[in-house]
Parts: sequence; structure tokens; C-alpha cells
Amino acid sequence: MSRFIIPKHLEVPLGAVLPAPVKEQPGMITGNWRTERPVIDHEACTTCLNCFIYCPDACWHLDEKTEQMVWNADYCKGCLICINECPANCLEPVNELEFPDGVVRLEKPF
Amino acid sequence: MAKEVFYSGCAAAAYGAKDARVEVISSYPIRPYTGIMMELSKLVANGELDAEFVHGEGEHAQVSIAYGASAAGARAYTGSSGVGVAYAMECYSPAAGGRLPCQMAIADRALDPPGDFGSEHTDVMGARDQGWIMGWAESPQEVYDNTIMYYRIGEDHRVQLPQFCCQDGYFVSHIPGRMKLEDQKAVDEFLPPYNPPHPLDPNRPVNHGPQIFPDQGSAINVQRAVAFDEIESVIEEVVKDYNKQFGRKYSPFVDEYMMDDAEIAFFLQGAHARTARFAVNHLRKQGVKVGVARLRFMRPFPTKAIQESLSKVKAVGTVETSTSYGGQSRGGNIIHETRSALYPLDKRPIVTSFMAGLGGEIVTLNEFYAMAKVLSDAVKTGKANDSYWMNFEKEVLDTHK
Repeated sequence: MSRFIIPKHLEVPLGAVLPAPVKEQPGMITGNWRTERPVIDHEACTTCLNCFIYCPDACWHLDEKTEQMVWNADYCKGCLICINECPANCLEPVNELEFPDGVVRLEKPF
Repeated sequence: MAKEVFYSGCAAAAYGAKDARVEVISSYPIRPYTGIMMELSKLVANGELDAEFVHGEGEHAQVSIAYGASAAGARAYTGSSGVGVAYAMECYSPAAGGRLPCQMAIADRALDPPGDFGSEHTDVMGARDQGWIMGWAESPQEVYDNTIMYYRIGEDHRVQLPQFCCQDGYFVSHIPGRMKLEDQKAVDEFLPPYNPPHPLDPNRPVNHGPQIFPDQGSAINVQRAVAFDEIESVIEEVVKDYNKQFGRKYSPFVDEYMMDDAEIAFFLQGAHARTARFAVNHLRKQGVKVGVARLRFMRPFPTKAIQESLSKVKAVGTVETSTSYGGQSRGGNIIHETRSALYPLDKRPIVTSFMAGLGGEIVTLNEFYAMAKVLSDAVKTGKANDSYWMNFEKEVLDTHK
């Protein structure tokens, strides 16, 4: 009989071995590292794809149906490199606390 | 068929790995352990062992290769000595925390500076708290036996931990001893193929070693603690099975010699226990009631077995073959945990320590006689220092005369 009691919210797979991601790893949400997020003005955006190319976490992609850039809230860490690289000045940094779903606490990663 | 041979500890480790049917071997040369890889590379080249033999570009790579191979589901084997063991330090905790039961053979060696190549336990003792199983063999036969037993202990699903299978450099690794290689079929029966919890499978891909948040870290640490709570009963089971199957007489944790009526005892691990037993034979003829307790596992540290063994005597001297500069005893390592293990007992012996065999020096009979003198005096006066550096302090000077 083990002396340890593992509370439900602290359960971790043995050796931290997780099912591997097919596309994204839901076991490791990193969007909650963010303090500011880039907000896009679709009118001004020229879909030059600079944000797509420069994003270190692949958090921008082009939706070919709407022909608009789509931002990934789950994995964007708020480095704002996209804003630096945007030639159309269509991206704006906005504090997370401005949003009802803003990141203000650490979520349980898995 | 079982076969009588005359092998060094290095050859014994290689044949232990061969009979354990290791599947991936990663090597990088450093003496004295390198003899193991020389032997294994021959076995692979001759087609006697079907294994991938991978050259790492250093020890860090070696353990990383073993980590990867073990994660894929292979029985992985690597090894090193001295500064090589130190260079791979980063890899030890991930392998244990990731619960990958690869094995690392250690033929120990002193750390620099200067570039000493002698036997000293200091190298791998530095990695003792990372969650690896660890213990020293005192003869080529025990090296061979431990290699096989450690895989079964480490791969048990109650344990799932990597293993440092240690032998004293030179004293064991390079001095041949008469030993028995067991029948392959019998070894296969004792040690079935590794049944990994996450075998490499394209239909069920997994992530090993993901980034986690600090609040998950404690839960991962607890997993290793749970394993070390379970491990003593697994070791007892495995050693019992091995003794039964191959006719050995290992006690799981503490190997005793003339301890039943002893008043003083040498407590140590590894090859110097042999000299200690001869010293005991000579001292007994002079009427000194002395015994030897040899530690077979440093991790898990077998508190209960040590309490049972050492509570029989009035004074214990741990013979340290590693250093803990600035530690409580201002000497070696083993005394700290030995004293701590004995502390809860109502009747506990005086515990002191002897710094001997450092840099790879032989621990001579005369040194053991000097230790026995210190211990006997301790029984009379009820006092002893925390540590004695053999040949460098007045109580233990001139032991080579």
C-alpha cells in the first residue's frame, strides 16, 4: 500500500509520456505565457504572409476560403515578432486583460 | 550449457550484456570500462550478438542514445568511467524521470585533477540521487550476475528505472576471476524480453520528455519516489529467483561476513570487501571480534537491512572510497546515510569512517588492522572522530610499515 495520495488535478502520465500530437499538442498549451496578443486589422492586411513566415510557433496561417490570416490563441506566446515584421502595419499589440478570455492564470497543461 | 571461465570484470560485464540479449549498445572509449565495449564489439562483429553497436561522440551522446533506444522499446546498454560519467550528468535525471530502464556499466575511476586513472567511487556517486538503481559488484562473477539481475529489476513495471551496474575499476574490471557463464536458455527464462509500456508504434505515437509546467514537476518526482518505495521488495524477489535458478547465495542488500558475534565491523561496498575479509581472518586469530558488512545497493539505500546488520555490533567503520568534501563527516559519503539509517534505533553502534583507497590506491591489510584498532578503541572509550584519512592522521599513520 503506497503512502502517497495523488490528488486528481496532479495526476501525470507515468514518466510524462504523452500521446504525440497529430497537429497540435493539447497536452501543452503555451498560449497562457502571453501578456499581450497581436490583433489584426483585416482591411489593412495585404496577406503578404510575413507573419506566417516569421512566427516562431506557426501561429498564423492563411484561410484560403476567406482569404484572411487566422491567429492561433492556444499557442501564441505573445512575442510580437509578427508586428515587427508586418509591412502593412495592420497588427496591434493589445494587453490580455482587455479580453474577456484574456490569459490571467496558468492552465493545467495535461 | 553453463561454462566455467577465467574472465576480468570487463569481460564479465560484456558477457552479462550478451546473455541479457541487449539490443542497442552505445560506446565511447575511456579506461577502464572501455574493455567492456572492446569485448562487446567483438561479439557483435563475430555475429555472436545481434545488436546495434552505435559510437557516441561522447558520453553525453552515449546516454542519449541509450535513452532513445530504451524509449523506442529496446534493451539498451552503455557505460563509462570517471570524467566520462560526469560528462553525461545531464542525461541521468531525464532517463530516470522518463522511466527508461537502460543500463550503464560503470568501472569506476577517480575524477580529475590531476588526471588520475585509478579506481575511486567518486565518479558515479555524484549521480546517486538522480533516480537510478546503483550498486557495486566485488568480483567478475557478481558483475555478470548483477548485469542480468539489474535488467530484470529495472524493467519490472513496478520499478521502470535505469541502472548503474558498478564495479571497481582495475580491482574488478581488470583482474580476471574464476566465474561461471550461465546457459543462455536459463538466462532467457530468468530474464524475458523487455516489455516496454510505450513501444515505438506508428499507430500509437507518443511524446517522450515534453515540456511541463512547474506544478507538474512535483508529481513526476513523486512517481520516482513511489518506485523507490516498491523497489526493495522487487529486488528481494529477483535476487531470490536468481539464487534459486543459478545456485548463488547473494543476500539482496547486505553481504555479511562473521557478523554474528562481531563487536566491530567494516562497512563498505565493492572490491575492497575481499581484502577486508582476509583482514578479518587474521584479526580473528588475534582474538579481535570483527566482521564485514558489504553494501550491495547504494540506491535504493537499504535502511532496514543495514539496521538489522549493523545493530549487532558496538562500533562500525564505513570504508569510504569516495569523497564528500565539506560534508558533515569531512570525509566520504557512506557514513552520512549509515548514521542516518541507524539513528532511530534505541541501541545503535558508534559510527565512524575511514578515507581509504582514494585515487585508486590499494586498501592494504595493514590499513584494515589500523581501522580495527580505532574501532576497538572506540568501543572502550565510547568515542570516535567523524572521519580518519588513512595514512594522513596520527591515529592511522604509517600503515604501510
